Amino acid sequence: MPSPMSLIYYTFHPQELRSIIQWKVWHNPVHERDESKEPETLRRCFFFLDKTSRSFSAVIKELHPELLGPVCLFYLILRGLDTIEDDMTIPLETKEPILRNFQDIIEKDGWTFTENGPNEKDRQLLVEFNVVVEEFKKIKPAYQTIIKDIAKRMGNGMADYANNAEHNINGVNTIDDYELYCHYVAGLVGEGLTRLFVEGGLANAALLKRPELMESMGQFLQQVNIIRDIKEDLDDKRRFWPKEIWSKYVNQFEDLFKPENKHLALNASSEMILTALSRADDCLYYLAGIKEQSVFNFCAIPQSMAIATLDICFQNHDIFKKNVKITKGEACQLMIESTQNLQLVCDVFRKYTRKIHQKNNPHDPNFLRISMTCGKIEQFIESIFPSQKKPVNEKASPVSVEQAAKAKAEAQEAKWDMIYMGLTVFLTLFIISGSMVFIAWMAGARFDIALDQLKDQWRALMGSSGPSDSGGASGHSEL
Amino acid sequence: MALPLERILVTGGTGFLGSAIVQALVEAKKYEVTALDINPPSLGTETFSQVRYVRANILHPEELAKVFSEAKPSIVIHTVGVYPLGNARYNLKGQEAVFEINVTGTENVINAAEGSGAKGLVYTSSIAVIVDEIDGNFANVDESWPTGRATLSYGQSKTTAENLVLSSNSPTFRTCALRPATIFGPNDPACIPVIHACISKGETPFIIGDGSNLCDFVYVSNAADAHVLAVCNLLATGTAAGEAFFITNGGPVAFRDFCIAVWKEFGHIPPFQVNIPKGLAWGLGLMAEWATWVTGAQATLSRRAVKDATAVRYVSLVKARRILGYKPRVNLPEALKVACQHYKQLLGGR
Repeated sequence: MPSPMSLIYYTFHPQELRSIIQWKVWHNPVHERDESKEPETLRRCFFFLDKTSRSFSAVIKELHPELLGPVCLFYLILRGLDTIEDDMTIPLETKEPILRNFQDIIEKDGWTFTENGPNEKDRQLLVEFNVVVEEFKKIKPAYQTIIKDIAKRMGNGMADYANNAEHNINGVNTIDDYELYCHYVAGLVGEGLTRLFVEGGLANAALLKRPELMESMGQFLQQVNIIRDIKEDLDDKRRFWPKEIWSKYVNQFEDLFKPENKHLALNASSEMILTALSRADDCLYYLAGIKEQSVFNFCAIPQSMAIATLDICFQNHDIFKKNVKITKGEACQLMIESTQNLQLVCDVFRKYTRKIHQKNNPHDPNFLRISMTCGKIEQFIESIFPSQKKPVNEKASPVSVEQAAKAKAEAQEAKWDMIYMGLTVFLTLFIISGSMVFIAWMAGARFDIALDQLKDQWRALMGSSGPSDSGGASGHSEL
Repeated sequence: MALPLERILVTGGTGFLGSAIVQALVEAKKYEVTALDINPPSLGTETFSQVRYVRANILHPEELAKVFSEAKPSIVIHTVGVYPLGNARYNLKGQEAVFEINVTGTENVINAAEGSGAKGLVYTSSIAVIVDEIDGNFANVDESWPTGRATLSYGQSKTTAENLVLSSNSPTFRTCALRPATIFGPNDPACIPVIHACISKGETPFIIGDGSNLCDFVYVSNAADAHVLAVCNLLATGTAAGEAFFITNGGPVAFRDFCIAVWKEFGHIPPFQVNIPKGLAWGLGLMAEWATWVTGAQATLSRRAVKDATAVRYVSLVKARRILGYKPRVNLPEALKVACQHYKQLLGGR
């Protein structure tokens, strides 16, 4: 049921309401899941997908049938891993071996985990994890290998962080640490998915040769989430913004949230946004390597949402007070534009890049770098979809002094041509009208009377004529 | 035993770009450098004991012939050029002088180089061969775009000279042309000082158009690096022979933002911002031109100056990266810091 606030909002933003309706009415999935052919355990997996994923379940369920199952299971396996890592009620001795051996656990028939705290929202997934294991063992071995490899690396990365007491107390230290953390939780997902796409023949194999592109896909999404969720994470006693960035502006992390530090906090946030934004052109480049529509949608929708989120977070002090979100209408508009082709997604990126550029504040220490990053995105888009055509009708360029002189002579000639042409036209008109007058005169036309009349009327018109003249004129007119 | 050094002659070798090229050649430690210029090194600029500085005028072929026969360069780098500033940029008055130095001068240098048995020539052309078509906008243009459409005398003269250089390319005399974007750096005559001057004139709050038009710039040492790379290429594989290359600092930036970044280096941030719509500015420019015509006084504003401030003018660096292996070593924020710091000292010293 829509809230009264949203009713008011959409009354004044009919364009956004239109996008919602359009998306709901006209969006046809590229591929539709055929539930009737699925075994009970797989149906249970999709049930958990809906339960655990807010944003990804819809796009995953529309994936090409070849990858539908593998990607769903990949998601659930990583979600399971994440649920164990996140839960602070599990002692480290229990947690660490599970994280480090998750690649083997997902092959153990009937494996379940019931030691999550009662408040863990995705607890049930691990309680019934045996369905995931059962389905995982049915997918193609090539896909299994990829998923196991990623689970192993991610689990070990998470275990390292769980062991790192400093990280748990002070959060992330340097920008490198920050990007490494994002690599474990998101960059690896990008790698796994890319390998699945290529293995399934739905993406260009060249994507594997440019690992920085798939890394950027994950980094961009994760960094945007970290920027947006700063307040939520603070409330949960977690901090992901690297000290290397915020310490340039405030002494204590908590100082970012003090109202008197508004400008300093905004400067810190724009440096965070700059770091994320520098990945945007890689993401577009990556999307150019996708061959299949459902995979394209799957990849493009989150990216478009991310750049729109970056825009509302930019120069917005609210991120330090609450969770800032794009509106549902905007989200639907973005989904419509991200489920067609790369050019439209580029248009989305360009639109939000320009909005960010417009809000760029000259007082910001990163003003120039942000501007350069915006320029880089624009140039990249221009390089894949040029807005201009090369001029075809080349004006002859004067190659040498002689040629320049020749061109000048030609121009001179053209000018005389023009003069002769004008003269000819004038002469022709003169001869024709002259002969007409002559024939009329021969036929007895009285030009003298007409001429006198014309003179008199002229004088009358000028008003300076004497009475005798005007009498004469009237006399004539009586004739 | 050390390899014999390749001999390089740089025309305009004491000028803004020329002296940076001389420095880059010296630092490469592979070249024996002759710097030819109409002026001796100006006070306060760095000179190198191992460089031969020779005075000559490129408009005097016999002077050139003498210097070239003594220097016997393998490669000639021809940087001499004049750039009409202010209103002179937009009208064709004084065009003859520009053409004489930029075109006839280049012709003389080509003849002298060929006459002295040089193996090649690197010519400092300009991005203006494309973007001096004043009514045009250029987004990520590459070298396959045709030249010859420039409407301003500078761009026209550079085009003519570039064509002379490239058409004289042969297997025994390899030539290439570099087209740097607006060059800035310490001692630059036309970029930082002009932008800095807006502060005292109180012009900084006014934005013509929306201030989002992207433009390219290049730091002087990066442009110099590109010249050294071109020399290396012509002496080795010669894949650059007969080709033109855009040289930029790696990515475009909004013209307005570049100005703000310069002003910030001098501690000035516009206290407020006023957008003047393009159409209005064009009209004001027209009026200013009439006023100029009636009174004969020079106005800052003109329709073409408005176009210059609002046009999109940036190019692709792909070809220079691929063939020359060019990579801007100094990034824009660092480069601006150095250039502005230098100008600050210069102003303080006056």
